[in-house]
Amino acid sequence: MRRILLIIVGLFAFATIAAVFIYVVFTGPGDIPPASRDLANLSAQDRFEMEQQGEYVARAGDCVACHKSSDGLSLAGGTPMETPVGTVYGSNITPSRDHGIADYSADDLYRAMVYGITPEGTHLYPAMPYTSYHAISRADNDALWVWLMAQNPVDRESRPAEMMFPFNLRPLLAFWNLIYRPDPPDQPIAGLTDSAPDDDPSERGRYLVEVLGHCSECHTPRNFAYARKTDAHFEGTVIEGALAPDITPAGLARRGWNADDLAQFLGTGLSPQGVMTFRMFPVLNHSTKYMTPEDLQAVAHYLSKDVPPSEPPAHRPEAIAQNSEGHQLYLGLCAGCHGSDGEGRPFGSIPLQGNTSAMFDNPLNLVRVIREGIPARHLTGDQRMQEMPAFDDTLDDDDLTALVNYLRQRWGGHDAPLAASQVINTPG
Amino acid sequence: MSDRMLTISMEINGTPTDPVDLPEDLMLLEYLQEYLNLTGTRYGCGQGVCRACAVIHDAPDGPKVVPACITGVAWANGRSFRTVEGHATRDDQGAITQLSAIQQAFLDHFSFQCSYCTPGFVASATALVERLETAPVARGDVEEVVLKALNGNICRCTGYVRYLEAARDVILSTPGLTTEEVAISDTAT
Repeated sequence: MRRILLIIVGLFAFATIAAVFIYVVFTGPGDIPPASRDLANLSAQDRFEMEQQGEYVARAGDCVACHKSSDGLSLAGGTPMETPVGTVYGSNITPSRDHGIADYSADDLYRAMVYGITPEGTHLYPAMPYTSYHAISRADNDALWVWLMAQNPVDRESRPAEMMFPFNLRPLLAFWNLIYRPDPPDQPIAGLTDSAPDDDPSERGRYLVEVLGHCSECHTPRNFAYARKTDAHFEGTVIEGALAPDITPAGLARRGWNADDLAQFLGTGLSPQGVMTFRMFPVLNHSTKYMTPEDLQAVAHYLSKDVPPSEPPAHRPEAIAQNSEGHQLYLGLCAGCHGSDGEGRPFGSIPLQGNTSAMFDNPLNLVRVIREGIPARHLTGDQRMQEMPAFDDTLDDDDLTALVNYLRQRWGGHDAPLAASQVINTPG
Repeated sequence: MSDRMLTISMEINGTPTDPVDLPEDLMLLEYLQEYLNLTGTRYGCGQGVCRACAVIHDAPDGPKVVPACITGVAWANGRSFRTVEGHATRDDQGAITQLSAIQQAFLDHFSFQCSYCTPGFVASATALVERLETAPVARGDVEEVVLKALNGNICRCTGYVRYLEAARDVILSTPGLTTEEVAISDTAT
């Protein structure tokens, strides 16, 4: 008995020593390449140019969407990000001496962006998408640093993360990183600021999508450890209560997207397939609408891989006879704005013919939009869409099911109706 | 407009309408104006935003305001609605003998100039008063409750303040619509 106890204690001690050894030796930050230029001695002209470049890097990386405060200060921190194991808040990344990143060097910023480790050695939660940013070019990092340091400091404390045990033990993240954090590429990728004009635009598209844009952080399903499933890249998943759809080339083509639609959607928030909703709307507001037309095209071609889109599911008038309850509800509550045949109205409401949400297998986004409505959208330029009212109080579960099925059957290419339980208890 | 027809009847201002065949995608507002000659409900934006077309739907769980311009007869069929023509008390000949408290208050407060938005404001304020009859609020919360109920109605002569004051006065001077409890707005930090 005593012997078994000794063995157990011995094994435990060995495991602890091994874990400490692994932690100390293998889980620190990797190499930090030298700065792209002498940042301590920038001429006024160089500094100005780097600030401009850095602002564009920050836009492309969509820093503000997560790092803005609830009262709208751009980088002061506070936006909640809800995960199944707790909530993380975007931190203050203004150059505030007490609460921000005033003491960060450009190397420190690189360590945080690429390895998810602060200058003090604290591990960031991977809500900070260092798993995507890991391939940022040193030149982009340095431009970003120059821009960040030129912003107004906001003296406001960052809100600590509220994670469940054991996920609140940050050193454990070191082991998560060991398994799931990709290393920076052996050959540095040219970034936005150090690519040559004649570089392949598809490489720029890849860099914008996979690195700075960190699209896969939402659009790729996650495994039991909340790491992205590398074998299901861009196949879509439910995150923060909404479906981030399949954006693989095949998935996009199946729903009728071509590269021009994608570029239009990312640049204006609106395309023949619909209007931006849920967590994609802040992406438009803080990031994609600032991108150049050339970069939007590069992103769109990279995502679509120029796979020719299938014709969107034909309008199926037989749904009218198939689901007359849904048809009556549609005419009574939706057709006033969306039109009797789903034609929509410019600047008012989207057409339903070709609508992407009606095509998803998962009805979650459709259900939520009908229940909750959509606030009036001021998109880019003079483009806007009116408020869609919420119908939660108007429709009971049976009505909602009939209406959702009708939309899917008439415009989404779905034939078989979903059961009420599949619509009402949509996994979210 | 669809050439498919639906046989429609509903209750308007307490009177059941005769069943009539209507295009299935006709909007309630067109039915009121073109078929029943009830022209008091106004066509504003035509997309359910300005609430000039607001009418009261008497739902089983209480009165609700719906935009008649984007609500189809297909949904209105079999339901019960009140329009601006239905709020006042009338004599046997149909002549108005007494306006509703809200209508009178809007006049007393000079709430409107051109009056285009008024039928919608009457609907929203009347529905609010009736909701408070079953669910009174603290006196200190009235201002906020009125603002919330009328905030969606758009008035381009900027009568807002007088509309809000009129509705507030009716609510505060009608017994049973308010309580003396501490206002939620006073307890909130």
